Amino acid sequence: MTLFTWEYFAEVFPLILSKLDVTLTLTVIASFFSLVIGVIFALIGYYKIKGLNLILKVWSSFMRGTPAATQVFFFYYGLANFSSIILNMSPTVAVAVIMSLNMSAFVGESIRGALMSVDNGQREAAMSLGMSGFQMTTRVILPQAVRVALPPLFNDIINLFKMSSLAFLVGVRDVMGIAKIEGANSFKFFECYACVMLIYWVITMCLTYVQKHLEKRFNAIY
Amino acid sequence: MVEVKNLSKTFDGHTEVLKNIDLNVKKNDVVAILGPSGTGKSTLLRCLNYLCEPTTGTIRIGDVTVDAAHHTKQEVRNLRRKSAMVFQGYNLFKNKTAKENVMEALVTVQKKSKAEAEETAIRLLDKVGMLDRKDFYPSKMSGGQQQRVGIARALAVNPDVLLFDEPTSALDPELVGEVLNTIRQLAEEDSTMILVTHEIRFARHVANRIIFMDGGVIAADGSPEEIIDNPENPRLRQFLNFVSK
Repeated sequence: MTLFTWEYFAEVFPLILSKLDVTLTLTVIASFFSLVIGVIFALIGYYKIKGLNLILKVWSSFMRGTPAATQVFFFYYGLANFSSIILNMSPTVAVAVIMSLNMSAFVGESIRGALMSVDNGQREAAMSLGMSGFQMTTRVILPQAVRVALPPLFNDIINLFKMSSLAFLVGVRDVMGIAKIEGANSFKFFECYACVMLIYWVITMCLTYVQKHLEKRFNAIY
Repeated sequence: MVEVKNLSKTFDGHTEVLKNIDLNVKKNDVVAILGPSGTGKSTLLRCLNYLCEPTTGTIRIGDVTVDAAHHTKQEVRNLRRKSAMVFQGYNLFKNKTAKENVMEALVTVQKKSKAEAEETAIRLLDKVGMLDRKDFYPSKMSGGQQQRVGIARALAVNPDVLLFDEPTSALDPELVGEVLNTIRQLAEEDSTMILVTHEIRFARHVANRIIFMDGGVIAADGSPEEIIDNPENPRLRQFLNFVSK
């Protein structure tokens, strides 16, 4: 038996690559929702809104303190006993929900940190001119926070992209899922998983490149 | 123009920084507040536009009065619109150019048209000698330049009183002059100003009234001649001796 069959690698690569759309769809959807929820979390934390802030802290600690794989199982198999909505949910949607919830806790922290990093003098200047809290937030605080938040947010997106590989746990045929199935059929696990590693690596490098480029552009403005 | 009654400020329930301050400032007065550090000079100034919330007392600027005992957000905003602050650390909006910094409050607070705000901004930047830097971001300006833009931004809202909180303390020595000249020019144009400063000689020349604060109270109050040339208060004498050395 040969150690590595190039012919098989070449044959299985396009097949695995064809499932990249599932992986990317999961990433894009979860990025969107974790960003929306994360902004809400960040604003609650930043303005220390009573009651909500405490609930949020517990929730955030829970989401960050348990493994994503466990969360997927707990949600899809565990909570399904109590909710017909989850029971009838497609596995892809279930994974997207968990990815969004999980990452929103991290995104919330990234954005809250960025908001806190805006110098207090900027707030004082806005207030001293008689600007309203809303004007101050939208015209001074947020634009400055975006620049600080960009690097950690992009890291969060890269983490989501890699986290999407957990979808195979509930039978989604994403890049990881199809490789597992093909490997089990041919017993050529090495080739199959090498394909997967390569695909994730290349995409992550592309994302990192975009990240660097964006950072440079944002930093060049002022 | 400015009337402060019974103003006191206590931090954390026990540190009394201002003790029952009463102060009246007339229109066109240029008042310099001097005193050792930690005596409440900056706190007093910051209370005037509620960046620091007083514990008790009323503040009136123009036709707006705010009582610390019961005040609404709207009252505080109205009060703030009557004054403008020039900060020790400039505090220009970092994400806006010099021109945009000056325009900001005109557009957002006073709801003026962009064209009108721009016209005002250009005029004021020219006045402080910063017209050639109008499209520069704060990070591309020296401290002195930033502070001059800060002064233009404060002038833009056409305040009843200009508040200066140690406007030259953060500047390199060679940049102090350009900012002081700008302030002197404003003083000569009959602006009403209250400035907290450590520049005794400058205060002597520019102000027509000097207040010496010590331990949270106004310890001496009078003309520059009375306060600086012929000080009677022993603490004031001690302070002036220290500073002039």
